[in-house]
Amino acid sequence: MKTELLWKSGFERVILTGVAALALAAGGVGAQAPPNGGPPAAKGAGGPPTFGLDLPPPPPMTPAEKLVIGLPAPMPGAIFPTAPLAADAPMPTADPRDLEGTWYHNQALAFRMQRDMYGVPVPYNLDGAKVLARRVNSLKDGAPYINASAICRPPGPQWQHDLNMPFQIFQSPDAIEFVFEEYHGRWNVIMDPAKASPPRSKEYMGYSAGHWDGSTLVVESSNFKQALWLDVDGTPLSANGKLIQRIRKIDNGDHAPFLEIMTTVVDPSYYTRPWTVVRTFGWQPGLTVFSEYNCEEQIGDPSVHADAGLVPEPKD
Amino acid sequence: MDMMKSHRHQRIGTLVAAALVAAGILASAAAQSAPSNLEGVWKIVAPTKTLKPISGSVPFTPQGRKQYEENKRLQAKGAYDDYDITLSRCNNPGVPRLMMTPERFKIWQRFGVVTFDFEWNRALRQIDASGQPPREDMLGRGLVPTMTGTSKGHWEGDTLVAETTNLSDRTLLDDLVAHTQDIKVIEHLRLLDPDTLEDRITIDDPAYFQRPWDAVLTYRRQPAAVFPEDVCLDRLEAHQPVFPPR
Repeated sequence: MKTELLWKSGFERVILTGVAALALAAGGVGAQAPPNGGPPAAKGAGGPPTFGLDLPPPPPMTPAEKLVIGLPAPMPGAIFPTAPLAADAPMPTADPRDLEGTWYHNQALAFRMQRDMYGVPVPYNLDGAKVLARRVNSLKDGAPYINASAICRPPGPQWQHDLNMPFQIFQSPDAIEFVFEEYHGRWNVIMDPAKASPPRSKEYMGYSAGHWDGSTLVVESSNFKQALWLDVDGTPLSANGKLIQRIRKIDNGDHAPFLEIMTTVVDPSYYTRPWTVVRTFGWQPGLTVFSEYNCEEQIGDPSVHADAGLVPEPKD
Repeated sequence: MDMMKSHRHQRIGTLVAAALVAAGILASAAAQSAPSNLEGVWKIVAPTKTLKPISGSVPFTPQGRKQYEENKRLQAKGAYDDYDITLSRCNNPGVPRLMMTPERFKIWQRFGVVTFDFEWNRALRQIDASGQPPREDMLGRGLVPTMTGTSKGHWEGDTLVAETTNLSDRTLLDDLVAHTQDIKVIEHLRLLDPDTLEDRITIDDPAYFQRPWDAVLTYRRQPAAVFPEDVCLDRLEAHQPVFPPR
């Protein structure tokens, strides 16, 4: 374990080790010896333990941080449990570049991505924080905004695979195709751009070009038809934003192989720097038969408004 | 010398065995579980909006005929949402109508499940020929008939035989012919030659048809392709045809 100090301009805070976190929780272990000797500080003297280090105070919150921290908390996500794989279940091949199979998100749905994979708060700039705030508050105010998912349109790669419904991966030399139960979605990763150049018109799922970096599939998704909601609460990605996914298959020999997708969000319109989240998807050959997803029956109903009762989001 | 030969033979044997094991590990699930490989990109040879019986005309019962005539009347009026919610809402056309979409579709075979991935609106249907018990249905979704129903399949030689039940009566067999929830659709899918796929369809719905009747659809293999994203609801919103003209 190590203590990491992140004093970058704007946003990062001190990240404490598990021991320090426990110390905070215990409330008493934080007594510290002052740097020049003498009696330790009294219990409850205030602030996190410093371990005798002369640490500078954290920088003041930016307007973006204040805005985000002041938002209502997201709903807690859930997950439908799956049984352990049967002893005789088919398993993935040993080829690390063979990602084929049926996969199922084995983590609770994150309604709002508040922290990156390192536990650091998402690095919003003020524009990004304002977009998130208006989306979250629109729910609170009972006038939620139209978004792709709500009107049965493809929601973009991040939301599409973040949902707790299975997907299959099919591979050919030219492309790796993800087929999802939810939204009967597709995500095509082009491995040979010479054979599948970007489409003439922009697509909701963008254009995704992939290549192998050792055993990791690296995908860059961009050129989106419209701005994306990266999650239920509307963590934003502008139409000019980019997602970089690093995908690998992991088998620890515990009869529970999984797929790991690390997604880096690159969007200077809304964030001060790129940031990364990680998702894992368990190997689930038993979920290969999908349930039907037919949102068109409701959304396409001509007797109701096409926006499903939601309101248009103001344009930036 | 004999020992050297023996060692060399052992090494060769080990290498051959390792190669065979590696080939087995890398073999697709498709090859291991299905007698015939229907995988590929396919397109209907003769696009049609009408599911035509192989011989004669559709053997309607009086009830079936009555519903058919009513649908024709509604079609003439342009009251599509009253009888064809695929045209009015981009609703999944269901089985067997999906097999008549004029665009391409892909077939994938994995773990004994045959997945049809349609270019039209990214629609999906699957035939479960795995022989495995159905997955747990915690939300009870299987209690409600769906557009594509439940398709159970098995192989008879090189032919995939699929029986689809639990079909919603909100779909049509084609652009006019209705069915009930009690319909049973039986398909025999096979390759006539490496580049020709045949789907022989039997419609069995005693309330609307006097007897089971057969239709046949044929598909030509297409080059491998990544389908462009097709969003039917965007076309509907733009007042464009749900099924783009060909």
